[in-house]
Amino acid sequence: MRRSLGWLCLGILAASGAVQAQTANTPVSAELVQTLLHRIDMLEKRVAELEGKGAPAPPPVAAAPPAFPVGHDHEVEMAGQSIPSGPLMKVAGFGDFNFSGTDQRGTRSGFNEGQFTLHTTSVLSPRVTVFGEVTLTARADAGATTGGAPAAPGFNAELERLLIRFDQSDYFKVSFGRYHTPINYWNTAYHHGQWLQTTVSRPEMTQFGGRFIPVHFVGGLVEGALPAGGLNLNYNVGLGNGRGPILSRGGDSGDSNNHKAWLVNLFSKPDRFFGLQAGGSAYRDEVNVGPRVFNEWITSGHVVWHKETPELIAEVANVNHTEVGRPGSFNSQAYYVQFAYRLPWAKQLWKPYYRWEYIHIPRTEPVFAGVPSLAGSLVGIRYDITSFAAIKMEYRNQRRPGLPRINGGFLQTSFTF
Amino acid sequence: MRRVLILLWLWVAALVPSAAADIAVVVNPGVPVNDLSFAEMRKVLLGDRQFWSPNLKVTLLIRAPVARERDTVLKTVYQMTEAQFRQYWIGKVFRAEAAGGPRIIYSNEEATQMAASMPGSIAFVDAAQVPKGLKTLKIDGKLPGEAGYRLH
Repeated sequence: MRRSLGWLCLGILAASGAVQAQTANTPVSAELVQTLLHRIDMLEKRVAELEGKGAPAPPPVAAAPPAFPVGHDHEVEMAGQSIPSGPLMKVAGFGDFNFSGTDQRGTRSGFNEGQFTLHTTSVLSPRVTVFGEVTLTARADAGATTGGAPAAPGFNAELERLLIRFDQSDYFKVSFGRYHTPINYWNTAYHHGQWLQTTVSRPEMTQFGGRFIPVHFVGGLVEGALPAGGLNLNYNVGLGNGRGPILSRGGDSGDSNNHKAWLVNLFSKPDRFFGLQAGGSAYRDEVNVGPRVFNEWITSGHVVWHKETPELIAEVANVNHTEVGRPGSFNSQAYYVQFAYRLPWAKQLWKPYYRWEYIHIPRTEPVFAGVPSLAGSLVGIRYDITSFAAIKMEYRNQRRPGLPRINGGFLQTSFTF
Repeated sequence: MRRVLILLWLWVAALVPSAAADIAVVVNPGVPVNDLSFAEMRKVLLGDRQFWSPNLKVTLLIRAPVARERDTVLKTVYQMTEAQFRQYWIGKVFRAEAAGGPRIIYSNEEATQMAASMPGSIAFVDAAQVPKGLKTLKIDGKLPGEAGYRLH
């Protein structure tokens, strides 16, 4: 027993020596080595305890030679294998599975696979981090076509976010990449993590694939947080490609014109009211609709009470389109208010919720042609099966101008893994 | 009379601040901070403040579940349940607001040793178990055991 524990300690010491040599030139390595040394100390004490009080301590850590030869700067050679010593990427996943049934004509009730989301985080240095988000979404038309046949059902892959960020300090961080546009609370609070949000679905104004608010933004972003006397003022300032040729998509492979989109987002999380967040943003772009060119101004605001007893999220946005060279402008508004409350009974696993939402788009609005106005509400309850999975049951009622009212029932299980 | 004296003693004992019941906020000696307001400490714990200074990042050390130190921090500072705390950090990383969550530690001894050796680290340990030489932060100008100290 004593001998095997001794070998165990020696092995750990040797491994720590190799790791130390492998990453000795990086700031992260010092922290890692300290952690390993500490672990060794703990193990040594445990060994001493097991062997009886007063047992002699193992030899000092620094005296231990490495158990295997150390390669060059970027590789560690171990038992004939070559292990790359690149940045360590952490992966987290989100998924959901749904059942829905509505009284809308032409629709069928049934199961839907929802989205499979992978989120990656990779620390390149203490100040530089890469974040990514990839989704696979079940679609009726995602498969390949052959010989003019209609597209087959399948999964649509999408790079939702990919950004590299340099953190100078809490006050100043700069990044480049593809983002969820930070002009809307929901868009950046929950991304594609259905499990994170209380409800089954996103509000219509920020729906993926929707046109009201540009969900994605490709470019650069400067962000940070200033104490501001306890107001904790957070900011995002961005410059990038605006909407792409298809309005619901960002300009991934280039902008559709030479006018870059810019945005400013400010919000406060005051010390005095822990749980409160309030702010607003402005977004400016030029969009092309066929040969016509429009200036786009989006202004929005939000108030959020983060705690769950109660939880309150309210957002409002106005989208203004003015055609270049022609008089007149069009204003479209959207808002929603969501209220939820984590019940104190039954181990606090139940959380009923309600949301009212509204979208008004003028009938003659040329950029949002085909996007109907909406008034609707939903009520539901969330049950947390574990700390990492939930079941949500929801009833929705929606009304669009000139169309029959739609009622629907939705059931979702969502989780992180 | 004896019963009255015992009750009186218990009452006085309850009023006298006890450092042993308080949770001390200990940091690596290289951290250039001696005093934090409660709100500033909350920002550190929430991951909203990630730098002590431009050249020193915060490393947050939190006890594993069930530990009294963790329960106190969750209840007093985060004001969250265990499930809310987990969801908070998963969401924080998912939103790209932090590269990772707090480091989990399994004993007060481990916490103090890590805090002593790891640059920028901050840990929460039973005030009675803080070894000499480790830096204990004042919270709102108060140390553990002083009247008005909020972490207990």
